[in-house]
Amino acid sequence: MSDYRLCGWRVRSDLALPDLLPWHGDDRAPDIHIRLTEVPAALTDPVHAGPLLQIARDGTCRFALPRVGAYLVRQGREILVQPADDPEATAVRTFLFGTVFGLLCHQRGTLPLHASCVRIGGVAVAFAGRSGVGKSTLAAAFLRRGYDILADDVTVVDIDQPGGPVVLPAFPRLKLWQDAMTAFDFESTGLEAARPDLPKFVLPVESHFQAEPLPLATVYHLATVLDPRHAALERLRGLAAVTPLHQAVYRMSMLARIGETSATLAAAVRLAAGLRANWRLVRCHDHAAMDAVVTDILARQEAP
Amino acid sequence: MNGFFWLASYPKSGNTWLRLMLHSVQRGGAAPDFSEASGFAPVASARNIFDDVLGIESSDLNPDEITTLRPRLYQILASHAREPLLRKVHDAWILTPANEPLLPPAVTMGAVYIVRDPRDVVASMANHNGVALERSIARLSDPANVIAASDRRLADQLPQRLLSWSGHVESWLDSPIDPLVLRYEDMLADPLAALRRVVDRLGWSAESAMLESAVRATRFELLHAAEQRHGFRERPTRSQRFFRRGQSGGWRDELTAEQAARIEADHGPAMRRLGYL
Repeated sequence: MSDYRLCGWRVRSDLALPDLLPWHGDDRAPDIHIRLTEVPAALTDPVHAGPLLQIARDGTCRFALPRVGAYLVRQGREILVQPADDPEATAVRTFLFGTVFGLLCHQRGTLPLHASCVRIGGVAVAFAGRSGVGKSTLAAAFLRRGYDILADDVTVVDIDQPGGPVVLPAFPRLKLWQDAMTAFDFESTGLEAARPDLPKFVLPVESHFQAEPLPLATVYHLATVLDPRHAALERLRGLAAVTPLHQAVYRMSMLARIGETSATLAAAVRLAAGLRANWRLVRCHDHAAMDAVVTDILARQEAP
Repeated sequence: MNGFFWLASYPKSGNTWLRLMLHSVQRGGAAPDFSEASGFAPVASARNIFDDVLGIESSDLNPDEITTLRPRLYQILASHAREPLLRKVHDAWILTPANEPLLPPAVTMGAVYIVRDPRDVVASMANHNGVALERSIARLSDPANVIAASDRRLADQLPQRLLSWSGHVESWLDSPIDPLVLRYEDMLADPLAALRRVVDRLGWSAESAMLESAVRATRFELLHAAEQRHGFRERPTRSQRFFRRGQSGGWRDELTAEQAARIEADHGPAMRRLGYL
C-alpha cells in the first residue's frame, strides 16, 4: 500500500500507481482510498443504467469493462477496483485514470475538462476538444519547446478559489499516438503502451511536470478541418464562451442523462467569467505546422 | 418505436450525393449548404458520439471492444430518438465478435444500399485516396479491409470493417433488413426516379416539384463548383477533390484491360447479381 499525490489530494492505494507522484505532503488522513476488492455486480438504486456505467441515486457510480475490470466510485472518497485478471495490467489504470477519474472529480465538486494543459509564464493554458483533435499533441509540442505540463486529456479545475479558477495538476505524463511520437522525435521504445494492442504510448514528462496548482487563464477550444480555407481563430465572449466550456466538461452528455446539466452549466458560467480569454482555434491536422501554432499561442499569451 | 434508416454503401459509391439530395429535399429543394450538410445524416461510426453516449474513451479501446459495444450505442440512441435517425454507413452488414448484428435489426427501420460498378469504384478510390489503382484493386479484394483503423493516429471515425467489395455487397443484400438497392448508375441515368424511390422508402411526403428542385440543386457541375469555391468538409485528407467525375463507365479510360479483367474475375458473381456483367 502506498500514498500518492493526485490533484493535490492524498491517495492511498492498494494498487501500485506508477502514473502518479508519491505523496510528500503533510500527514493529513488520505483524501481518497483506492481499494482492490470485490465490486458489486449491480447498483441497487440506479438512476442511470448504461451498458458500461451505472449511477445510483446517491451519486455512486459503477463502471465496468469486460476483460479489464469493474470500478465503484463513491462520495468522492473511495474507488473500489476489481480487476478482471492481472491487477498490474496497464488497462486497469488506463480506465481508472479515464472515465473513473472523471467521475471522482465530479463527485468531489471539481470541474474536469476534456483538455490538456500547459504552463505559460505563471498561468495555465488549456486545450479542449474532442478525442483526436490534437490536445495531447499540442501539449507535446509545448513540452518539446521546454514548457511544463499540468494535465493531459482531463484537466481538473477548482472553480471555488477566491482568486479565480485554478488547475489542479493530475498526472506527470502524456499519452501520444505513434504519429505524434514520430513527428516530435520522441522514442517509443521502452515506453508503456496505453493498451498492449494500441499504438498509443505513455510518455513520462518527468521534470517538466508542473505539480503545483496554477490559475487557469485561457482555454483554447480546438477543432480540425481538412480545407485550409476553413481554418479560423476567434475570440469567444459572453454566451459564446460558455457553451463550448460546458461542452468541454468531461463526460458532459453522460451527466446530462442523469440530470446534472444545470450544475455543470452554472460551473461553466463561473469558469467563463473567471478566465482571461476563451478562443476557438480551428486548424488543419498537420504536425509540421504545430510549432507555428505554439509560437502563435505564446505571442498571444504574452501580449498585454 | 423510432430507430435508424441506414444509408449504406461501399465508399465512393454515391452515398454523399444521395445525402445531399435528401438534405435538399428536407430544405424544400434548396441548394446544399456544405457547412450544414455535413451534419445531415452523419456517419454511424462517429467516434465522439460513441464516447459521449457510452461514457468511455474509444481511443483506449481495441477494435474488437469497439465493435462489440457499437450495438449498445445504437440501442441507446434509438431509445432516446424523437424521430427516425438517418445515418451514413460504410460498414459491411456484419456480426460483432459477440456474434450479434453490428446494426441491430430491432432498431433498424430500413436501409438504402447504394452500389456502384466496382471498376468505377476502383478508379474513384485511386484518385480519392491518392493511392495507386493497383492498391485500390487489391483493397477491393481484401476480406480483411478496415477503414479508419487508427493504426498510427487516432481517426475521427471508429474502425469499420468493409470486407471485400463482393463481401460488402452480399452482406447487405443478404441481410435480414431487406434494403432498397439503388445502383449509382441508375441514380445518374434518372436521379428523380431514384430520389423518389428513396423518399418513399423513408416514408417522407414530398411533392414532385420539390424532388425536381433537389435534383437540380445537386447536379454534379454545381457540387463540383461549390467544392472549388468553398471546399468540402468530408473530403479525405489525401485527395484533391471529392466530387471528381460524376460519371459511370469512366473506368474504360482509367483502367487497363488487364486490371478490369482482374476485378471482373474477383467479383464476378456479385457483379452479375447487380447487372454489371
